[in-house]
Amino acid sequence: MSFQFAYLLSTMPRLCAAALVNLRLAVVIALLAIVGATALTILRVMKIAPVNVVVAVVISFIRGTPLLIQIFLFYYVLPAIGLDLSPETAGVAAIALNSSIFIAETMRGGLQTIDPGQVEAACALSLSRRVIWQRVLLPQLFRRILPVLVNEITIVVKGTALLSMITVVDVLRTAQQISSASYRPFETLVGAALLFLAINLVVILVGMRGESRLAVRG
Amino acid sequence: MVFDPSILIPYLPLLAAGTWLTVKISVMAFFLGYAVGIVLALVALIPHWVPRLVVSVYVAILRGIPFIIVVFLVYYGLPFAGVRLPAYVTGTVALGLFASAYYAEIVRAAIVALSPGQFESARAVGMSPLQAMRHVIAPQILRALVPPSTNMTLTMIKESSVLSSITVADLTYQSLVIQGNTFAPFESFAAVTLIYWAMTAIVAWAFARSERRLGRIEAENVGRSALVASFLSFDRRPAS
Repeated sequence: MSFQFAYLLSTMPRLCAAALVNLRLAVVIALLAIVGATALTILRVMKIAPVNVVVAVVISFIRGTPLLIQIFLFYYVLPAIGLDLSPETAGVAAIALNSSIFIAETMRGGLQTIDPGQVEAACALSLSRRVIWQRVLLPQLFRRILPVLVNEITIVVKGTALLSMITVVDVLRTAQQISSASYRPFETLVGAALLFLAINLVVILVGMRGESRLAVRG
Repeated sequence: MVFDPSILIPYLPLLAAGTWLTVKISVMAFFLGYAVGIVLALVALIPHWVPRLVVSVYVAILRGIPFIIVVFLVYYGLPFAGVRLPAYVTGTVALGLFASAYYAEIVRAAIVALSPGQFESARAVGMSPLQAMRHVIAPQILRALVPPSTNMTLTMIKESSVLSSITVADLTYQSLVIQGNTFAPFESFAAVTLIYWAMTAIVAWAFARSERRLGRIEAENVGRSALVASFLSFDRRPAS
């Protein structure tokens, strides 16, 4: 068998349509993860001891176990305890939790690099805690973690491919469906791989643009 | 629903076999990945644009596509090229290649971070090239390698779970088998989750130990007031 480029091209319309599923899921997950990570960071800074212990265990758990297993836990275990989620919802929830933990850990590192004088100055101006977070800390924090955040979003994009394992019809599953009819798995997989590369390339380029814009203003 | 771990007792041999295969694959992929990674890093340091470009493209591709697709590409691609190997060998190769893209960057960064004057200074104080390598260059490179390698190795162990999708009978695969047999998803996945958790904890501990032995120098956080700590730290008591 030889690699048939024409066949690869002929599968592209179906694969592209399926890639939109990955793109849509990735956008939802990334937004959930960023919001979740921010909330988690603010929660941890409040230093409620029992909460932080729980958070620490969850972080260790999420970082210490494979994403695929976490997806299985959401997909297989939650229905068993009465929470019936669609494969898509379960998958989105699993990846969003995973990603928000990793982003929250980055935020922790980012907070360490913020000049303590900023907080003192903000308090001296008697800004409220809320305003300090909204206007002083979070904008700087996001700017600092942007490169890592972009990297994390590419990981989210790649993670959506795992959802094919829990019957979500994404690019990878579509590629498998096409190849099970044509017996040409290699071409369709290359097609799927190219689409992921394309999505991630866009993510990285947008991230670089964002970085340079924030750098000019900073 | 009742949580009943005793349901797993007949499946302990399966869990043990899955754990052992995951460990074996991870160890082999670590060495394969590091070997390829070092070669790639050295190639990338050749002062010519062609090798640099080749390595960058290799790294960008492997980092840009999901590992599960890398696995399938190798799994279907090798027979395509006339090579037939058992699934776990294919899986190990895929995992090693995937890791090599990251290890290459880690090794390259560690070498580049080293100031070129280090070697010359060591020579100037009368060390032989070998002594300079042994006492000056190697310790610094090793020290720079450990923290990022820890992260990547943990990631690699976790990514090995994806190999279950090409019928490699690893820990994840066994969890699906047990789940299918017992219809007890909670118990099956809880057991496997705990094993992975323990595995990554052990590896993280081992790397942390080697880091201590190599003597990492780190800037400490000093002088934080309670006010500052109330925003920037998670610890209850501010570091004095």
